[in-house]
Amino acid sequence: MATTNRAPKLKLSNVSKEFTAPGTGQRTVAVADVSLEIQSGEFICVVGPSGCGKSTVLNMVAGLAEPSSGTIEKDGVPITGPGADRGVMFQDYALFPWLNVRDNIGFGLRHGTPGKELSRSTREERVGHYIELVGLAGSENKYPHQLSGGMRQRVALARLLANGPDILLLDEPLGALDAQTRLILQVELLRIWGETAPAEQRKTAIFITHDIEETVFLADRVVVMSTHPGRVKAVLPVDLPRPREETIRAEPRFGHLAEEIWGLIRDEAYRAIA
Amino acid sequence: MSSAAERQHAGPPQPSSLQTPVLQRELDATHTWQGPGGAKPSQITRWMSKRGVIAIRSFVIFIALWWLLALWVNRPVQLPSPLRVAIALGGLIAAGEVSENALISVSRLGISLVIAAVLAIPLGFLMGLRREAEAIIDPVVELLRPISGIAWIPLALFIFGVGDILPLFILVYVAFFQILLNTIAGVRNVDQRLIAAARTMGVGRWAVLRYVIIPAALPTVMVGIRLAFAAAWAAIIAAELIGAPSGLGFAIEWYRELLMSPKVFAFLVVIGIVGYFADLALRALQRWLTPWAQGTELA
Repeated sequence: MATTNRAPKLKLSNVSKEFTAPGTGQRTVAVADVSLEIQSGEFICVVGPSGCGKSTVLNMVAGLAEPSSGTIEKDGVPITGPGADRGVMFQDYALFPWLNVRDNIGFGLRHGTPGKELSRSTREERVGHYIELVGLAGSENKYPHQLSGGMRQRVALARLLANGPDILLLDEPLGALDAQTRLILQVELLRIWGETAPAEQRKTAIFITHDIEETVFLADRVVVMSTHPGRVKAVLPVDLPRPREETIRAEPRFGHLAEEIWGLIRDEAYRAIA
Repeated sequence: MSSAAERQHAGPPQPSSLQTPVLQRELDATHTWQGPGGAKPSQITRWMSKRGVIAIRSFVIFIALWWLLALWVNRPVQLPSPLRVAIALGGLIAAGEVSENALISVSRLGISLVIAAVLAIPLGFLMGLRREAEAIIDPVVELLRPISGIAWIPLALFIFGVGDILPLFILVYVAFFQILLNTIAGVRNVDQRLIAAARTMGVGRWAVLRYVIIPAALPTVMVGIRLAFAAAWAAIIAAELIGAPSGLGFAIEWYRELLMSPKVFAFLVVIGIVGYFADLALRALQRWLTPWAQGTELA
């Protein structure tokens, strides 16, 4: 997606986050001076070694954590707390274990702001729609502990989408899956995000991962972060055509991009395990 | 999530149908390994290793040891034989004394558990959610908690006298701390990501409490209720022994004064059996209220 002069959907300006250890009072800088502009409909992947503060950035955009300094604006308005306009998909899905698939997906519609104006039948219809979309028809009455990892991931995705957020915040959503399921769900994620739809109908997505090939496959732009403290090291546009098929992984350009990102991370990754 | 569940989702879509035969094979292998001379396990070996059969066998051995000890001691007042106790129990059941006293004790227990839960669960939520409340109340709780409920009986005799109030007071006291501490732990240990997830769905604070924190803490609260039951059932006998004109504890004391040891023993047996079935009932309630907690450490 080409950068235009439109106002950004999300704007992070000099965002830093410090944590203070409760006992010792020792301060750690998790995120330092991150500035980033994200356009509406963009798919952004954030990649970096563990401890680079990528989840912290996501939490701040979600409104679950406050920046120590700097500002985060959405559509020009500062973010002050969590809201249904910014849906989060957590790494381990955070499904409610006491609710079945249908009630998990309908949770926000039933108890939160997204369903305030909707009638019961509209809510049920919408839940049904997302159950279909993620291929969970027939499992509506199952509980999370009865589902496989891939199915839980689909429930979390459907729950996220059912609330109708315009920004999707995805924190390593495929991290817990085996390699094959992961490849399949990457394609599915792009389809659900709106890859085949016109760009203006797509949602804005921030996707966190430590899998380099995943970033190249999914992203419009890849944000590479470095650690101690967490900073943006580089932002790389991914100039691969959409919709992206499995075969794109075999193309030379795909390999070059992955190589380039790995080159930016390599030193720190080696240092982390040394 | 349990590790069993973790293992399941790496596998094919319907692992449960595949797992049973594997488990069965493992069991069979164990049997073969235990079997004499590597021969195939006989029907008897299989039957003997069933859980119910093991329980009955242990029970029979216990009765036999009791009987031998009773023969050796040879003083029926101090240690009556199982047969004498069984006859006494039969007589007490026929006379309606068992059901009458058991009903009284169980009612007291039930009422006091309800009172303790009504007091302790809201307080536990308050202390679990609000650090300030915890800071104020916790010192008092920690001061009172180590004092056994039984230690209050002499004082309670002064205040309430012998009657229905005294055992209720002791039982509520005993049950209260178990439920309170488990409720606090349950509220504290609610997975913060579930709360975060709800908040990012635009769910307000009260709805988070009602629809996330309460159900998430419920399994631990139920554990507290079961522990409260166990502690209260142990204390009720002591409370009734001294401070009540009825109930199982009172019946034991009554027949002790009459030197009717078989009947004293018969009531001891009743206490064990009633306690066992009450715990089964509480487990059933737990499964019904928190079915999702099955297979976790809280079930």
